[in-house]
This record gives sequence, C-alpha cells and structure tokens, in this order.
Amino acid sequence: MTGTVEAELEKFSRGDVQAFETLFREYQGEVYGWIVRMVRDPGVAEDLTVETFWRIYRARARFDPRRPFGAWARRIATNLALEHLSRRHVEKPLDQDLPPRAASYPVEDARVGADVREKVVAAFGELPAKLRAAATMALIEEAPYAEIANVLGITVNGVKSRVFRAVRLLRRSLEKRGVRP
Amino acid sequence: MNERDGALQELVKRAMGGPADRELKHDLWPEMLRRIERPSIRIPWWDWALAAALLLCLLLLPEAIPLVLYQL
Repeated sequence: MTGTVEAELEKFSRGDVQAFETLFREYQGEVYGWIVRMVRDPGVAEDLTVETFWRIYRARARFDPRRPFGAWARRIATNLALEHLSRRHVEKPLDQDLPPRAASYPVEDARVGADVREKVVAAFGELPAKLRAAATMALIEEAPYAEIANVLGITVNGVKSRVFRAVRLLRRSLEKRGVRP
Repeated sequence: MNERDGALQELVKRAMGGPADRELKHDLWPEMLRRIERPSIRIPWWDWALAAALLLCLLLLPEAIPLVLYQL
C-alpha cells in the first residue's frame, strides 16, 4: 500500500490527474474530518476540502514525493480553516445558518435557553481564530490534546495554552454578558 | 480542567450543539474535477510586454503622462 501511495505521489508531482484522483479519494474524508471539527459547518467544510486539494493540485510541481502527503494536506487544510474562522468572526447559531446542508448537524440542547445560547455563541465567536479552533476541538469535540496538536501542527503544551487562554477569555466575555457558568 | 471549567465546557457544548459529524456524506471528486477543468483567465505574454513597455516609456518620459491620460 505504501509503495502504491509513493508511486501515486510521484506521478501526481509530475501532473498526472489520475494519480491526483487516487490521492483525493484516499484523503478527502480525512481532510474533511479535520476541517469540520474546526469550522463545525458541513457545507463550509466541503468547500474548504475542495479548496485544500485545489491548492495542493496547483502546488504539485513543488511537492516532494518523499515527504508525507498527509502532513502537507493537513497544514494547508488547517490554514484554510483558520483563515475562514478569522474572516467569520462572529458565529451565528447553526440552526439559523444553513438548514438544508447542515441537516446532519447536532442540534443545540433545549435545556439551554435561547438567550444564554445566543450569548455563548457570540462570546465564542469573539475568540481569536487560533484560540477558537483549539477550544472548539477541546471543549465541544472533546478531542484528545495530542490529536488537536497533530491537526493544528503545534505541541500538546501549545494546545493546552490555547485552550486555557480561550476558556479565560470566554469566561470573562460571558460574565460581561451576565452569564456565570 | 477544574470544576468551573467543566461547567463552562458543558454550557458551551449544549449551546453549540455537541460534536460535529466527521463523516463525509458524498464524494467531492466531481466538484474537484470541475474546478480543475474550469478555464483559468490567462493574460497573454504580449499584453504584459505592452504594459511593461508603456510603463517604461512613462518612466523615461514623464511629460508624456498627460498625453496618455488624454488618450484614455
């Protein structure tokens, strides 16, 4: 299998579209999984997955087939997701956002009142993109720190620091809004 | 994570809707292929050469700038 992937990478770097298709099909699910955990919107995650591979395709001539494809893809995907998060600073509640495409998306807990939910979503949306991505994966997705570190391309201590700062900012922002968890 | 952080996490999880479904529901290759096959806008090299020549002329003969602007 590894030999096959290496051969495909070699062909891909020479511009073979069929080899690119093989790589795309092999990695699209994984790339989508990394992105959706950060942006939490299936439609956006699909668009960003395609954008990730488009950038990979355009940069194929610079790709060294001896280096791991997954790490390269992850770096591009993470940067795109962070870019998206920093553009879309204040997040809207998901049920108002993309109803048809987000059908599989988890719904908010009815035990949390609409007012509190709105405040939490607003406070979360105000977090800087890097902190928001780490906090999303740690607090909501409950991914292990090692996995978050792997996706974000930082150390486990880096993840801990980002989550700590995010929690502190979130708490402060919620307190300003009159919410004390 | 302490107890207070645990309460905050619980609130965030409830408000934001829990973990996202990580499974890709459909193949994205057709969309990717459309992207690859979409013709890109290419500016021919002679247009670049013309623009460069014009710029050079304007740098060498700045008094020609009003004349060029008049012609636009």
